[in-house]
Amino acid sequence: MTECVVIGAGPAGLTAAYELAKLGRHSTVFEADDVVGGISRTVNYKGYRFDIGGHRFFTKVEMVDELWHEILLDDFLVRPRLSRIYYDGKFFDYPLKPMNALLGLGPIEAVRIGTSYVLSQLFPHKEERTFDQWVSNRFGKRLFEIFFKTYTEKVWGMPCEEMSADFAAQRIKNLDLVKAVTTALLGNWARRGEVITTLIEQFHYPRYGPGQMWESCVKRLADKGVETIMETRVEALLHENGRVRAARVSGPGGTREVEADHFLSSMPVRSLLHCMEPAPPPEILAAADQLRYRDFLTVGLIVDQAETFPDNWIYIHSPDVKLGRIQNFKNWSPEMVPDPSKTALGLEYFVNEGDELWSASDEDLIELGKRECDLLGLAPSDKVIDGTVIRIPKAYPVYDDTYQEALAEIRGWLEGLPNLQLMGRNGQHRYNNQDHSMVTAVYAARNIAAGATEYDVWDVNVEDEYHEEQREDATAASGDRLVPGHVAEEDLLELVRGAFARYDAVALGSALGVVTALGLFLATAALLAQGGPNVGANLMLLANYLPGFAVDWTGAVIGSAEAGVVGFGFGWLLAKLINGVIILEERNLLGQIEGRALDLFEGED
Amino acid sequence: MATQALATDERGLIQAAIVRMRARIMAVVFGLLGGVSVFAATAWLLLRGGQQVGKHLKLLNNYFPGYDVTWTGAFLGFFYGALVGAALGFTLAWVYNRVAESRDPA
Repeated sequence: MTECVVIGAGPAGLTAAYELAKLGRHSTVFEADDVVGGISRTVNYKGYRFDIGGHRFFTKVEMVDELWHEILLDDFLVRPRLSRIYYDGKFFDYPLKPMNALLGLGPIEAVRIGTSYVLSQLFPHKEERTFDQWVSNRFGKRLFEIFFKTYTEKVWGMPCEEMSADFAAQRIKNLDLVKAVTTALLGNWARRGEVITTLIEQFHYPRYGPGQMWESCVKRLADKGVETIMETRVEALLHENGRVRAARVSGPGGTREVEADHFLSSMPVRSLLHCMEPAPPPEILAAADQLRYRDFLTVGLIVDQAETFPDNWIYIHSPDVKLGRIQNFKNWSPEMVPDPSKTALGLEYFVNEGDELWSASDEDLIELGKRECDLLGLAPSDKVIDGTVIRIPKAYPVYDDTYQEALAEIRGWLEGLPNLQLMGRNGQHRYNNQDHSMVTAVYAARNIAAGATEYDVWDVNVEDEYHEEQREDATAASGDRLVPGHVAEEDLLELVRGAFARYDAVALGSALGVVTALGLFLATAALLAQGGPNVGANLMLLANYLPGFAVDWTGAVIGSAEAGVVGFGFGWLLAKLINGVIILEERNLLGQIEGRALDLFEGED
Repeated sequence: MATQALATDERGLIQAAIVRMRARIMAVVFGLLGGVSVFAATAWLLLRGGQQVGKHLKLLNNYFPGYDVTWTGAFLGFFYGALVGAALGFTLAWVYNRVAESRDPA
């Protein structure tokens, strides 16, 4: 008998086993497939390695970073990142850079985008229930149509109008058009010292792909006496008296029951519920059946060219091809190809299990891949010398309108089985990245070691934070849930502070000074650039107030400096006057508070 | 009921608070103000009529290509005014916040 049965040898399952071993607990891992790593596996085809989706090893969770380096030691490469979007025959930087996007799209499209953005800010959707509403409210409808709609619908296979806004909030919340424009124009200075790594230019990657991490993990587990049993499917979880007693597993060695004190599952929630013996109530099974998944297939092409395109990956937004994303694995790591004169490309198609693409023969899919690659100008079809197809069922849990309710029901029922914990992307039906899946596994393992639920495995990765973004000032562990609390005394004090906050006279002076100086300089420069006889005769009248000002370059500099001083004085005076009024108001209110002995900070009698 | 008055440190905290401007709101407000101002100024002159309508206001076309003291110009002026106003509002708030924060990092 093992102490803990771990279902699945993906990042969550193997991390859980690894953490348990570190904590002195024994476990056995069961994996239905013949490869470890789950969707973080690396498929080896004739020496060419294909990553399933491209996994950057980048995290803001220090614990995960340490684990990665503990398991793989220093077999990481630091790789430059280049990712772009292909749309309408052009390439655009990804993450989106406004100037690059606007230049690429041209002035007419830029005006359309700007207008639709302003409209979205003035008349936003009052309700943000769906993906399109959420994105349009932040980026404008036009930008949504160009850069979000087509690709998102390719990935998820359903209209954005039917997709929950949660997904957008979780994946892209901190991308903001105004912030992005500010960043493009002003660089990191605009960020008040924060280092945002949305635009990270390099990342860690295992020399032989992400699968190497998990193969290495299995070896380390074996050294610690932990067995990873491959091609062995958990067919049933047998439970009685409010506890899971055993797992019935079936593999090359036959079918047997494995008893354990604890069970950690990373198998898809829907499958898990159908594994339970005795079966859950019908309404719970119905809830499980409501959970939907998106499947994925990669057409791996081997191209007889040393170089194809410089990107790690390209998002294909064009609606005229079925291809969703293309990876150039050689750019992830040169070791991914055995022959440097060749290139390995991964063409990613987002599908539903059983649909036309999923069911197509490998030969047809390879032909489709060659054709689309050629059409997009990414690799000539006659240079493709070989290919393979990798199908990954249930690659993505779908966030539709009903999943939250269904998941809540399922979780409610599972609470009756405290020795069963769910973890990982499919294990929790959450669109986690690898690092967040690992955190859920570490939490689950630590709960077992502690003998109590000290960590909430569901409390990871629900912070509505864009996963590509890392701030150096981030203090909370990634995934800590942001829970609205009651208004505390300090909050009330903050409210009062906000109500009576003063203007900083120097700051307002500086701001008006800068705006005035800049305004006059630009106004003069515009006239000078236009030229002509008697240039700026009217603007010149300002010289009555700004001695030395003239509509020439020297005059512009002198006048701007003077205008800056005037602006500063005006702003400073304005702030002082406003502050005077605020002080009067504040004295009046505080006087009333003290006079009536009203305890504002207790709040009630 | 507790009947304590504001503590001195709380009063100090309140008095030390500094306003932060919201650049996006400033941009929208200044943008609207700028747009409406140019539109209204143009419309006013057009409604008043006369021989040389908007002789001076017309000079705005030095900065706003295509602008004229006509009804079409009024709408174009609204667009330009909004654009310039938004840029001014945003810059004003942005510079203000940067300076205020550098002086009061808390």
